Amino acid sequence: MGEAIVITSGKGGVGKTTTTANLGTALALQNKKVCLIDTDIGLRNLDVILGLENRIIYDLVDTVEGRCKIQQALVKDKRFDDLLFLLPAAQTSDKNAVTPQQMAKLVEELKLDFDYVLIDCPAGIEQGYKNAVAGADKAIVVTTPEISAVRDADRIIGLLEKEEIEPPRLIINRIRPQLMKNGDSMDVNEITTHLSIDLLGIIPDDEQVIRSSNKGEPIVMEPSTQAAIAYRNIVRRILGESVPLMSLENEHKGVFSKIKALFAK
Amino acid sequence: MTTKQLVLIKGTKEGLVLQLDDQCAYSDLLDELKRKVTEDGLEGQAEVTIHVGNRYCNQEQLKEILHIVQQSKHLKVSKIKSDVITVEECNQKLLKSQSATYIGIVRSGQELRADGDLVVIGDVNPNGKVIAGGSIYVMGRLKGMAHAGVEGNRECVIAASWLEATHLMIADLMELMTNEVTILAEKPEMECAYIHPNGHIAIDRLQDLRILRPNLSTFKGGS
Repeated sequence: MGEAIVITSGKGGVGKTTTTANLGTALALQNKKVCLIDTDIGLRNLDVILGLENRIIYDLVDTVEGRCKIQQALVKDKRFDDLLFLLPAAQTSDKNAVTPQQMAKLVEELKLDFDYVLIDCPAGIEQGYKNAVAGADKAIVVTTPEISAVRDADRIIGLLEKEEIEPPRLIINRIRPQLMKNGDSMDVNEITTHLSIDLLGIIPDDEQVIRSSNKGEPIVMEPSTQAAIAYRNIVRRILGESVPLMSLENEHKGVFSKIKALFAK
Repeated sequence: MTTKQLVLIKGTKEGLVLQLDDQCAYSDLLDELKRKVTEDGLEGQAEVTIHVGNRYCNQEQLKEILHIVQQSKHLKVSKIKSDVITVEECNQKLLKSQSATYIGIVRSGQELRADGDLVVIGDVNPNGKVIAGGSIYVMGRLKGMAHAGVEGNRECVIAASWLEATHLMIADLMELMTNEVTILAEKPEMECAYIHPNGHIAIDRLQDLRILRPNLSTFKGGS
């Protein structure tokens, strides 16, 4: 029996879908059988980021309305043999096409076959959010160091605490170390004390993420980048390892400071 | 049959007291009361307090008694005293005098209400709201909205380990904590908001509370 994790944020554009795609891929790289569910009915994206857009035949709404079997709607990612699957959202309906009860039942069935079921939640706190949370055992809240994203994360955490799921954990996405260092954006410590939930990981802002998303290849597949390492660290933490938070300072060190550091030893 | 007086008129330092018997039938009492207040022998105009003793009278009955006494042009009722209240009223009063404790974080969009004092152990985040009939004490950071003395008690205060609220309300007053407000401290640690005698909400150090609002202390004994 696997576990279902919902990935949510409240605010849009903070990187829920990118995070879902990357965590799913990284879990598959760790030999876990993973199913990703896109619950953003009407505005599906997850298939595009995974590069699976062309292979969709049936979708989430077809499944819950009984037009196909769950297995028929699942899209297999051929890069991972039988480890990574996507249940895409419908593009032609809206959020009200599915009820939380139907979602809970669907997730329950998927948990029998998969080690992890990751649910990509749409932005907002309406029907789409309620559907996404319905079947989840755990929750991950994604935020960025912007004050507006943190406010919305606070609201969503309040709502999640009312659900019968474990206390949510936090991912701070798109961190720009220089801004944080200069005090121009909230720092990691400030955000975690404000939201007072456990920190699952931090991900630096990286152009490479955008580039690879546009190619339909999640960034974790290029392990040399900092963002990929950050996502892989998060997955190791999800699997129960204790991995220290990555330091964001090192990357932008110039030659001069490297030499200085040498002498400092 | 003993002729016990059902209505006694006594003189005290505070004025006349109409002591009503609380054992006899209500109708007998009314008859007696009517007779007493229309009796001759009363002169001038006197302030009078009505004691109904251990008899429970509902609002209608109290009005009826008041009406009878007011028929006499010599008596002016200042107040009606009763030794009993219903269990329901008592429970309500109890709620108002109790302090409710909440442990946790009041997050954006959440609202916390208490009839009496409210103690929050945890933060009140922006867009979170705490409302109390009495005072509000936050052991944590108050960064949202707080409304103390919601039913009009202007003696209530809002105290917090870190007072960085966006809106402070006490009774019927409201203060927006904008940048223009000069009462904000650089480091708003251990502070309390209260209604200043000048009619505005003021913020002071928490240590000054025992001078500003000595009545808030309910502690008995000690040295």
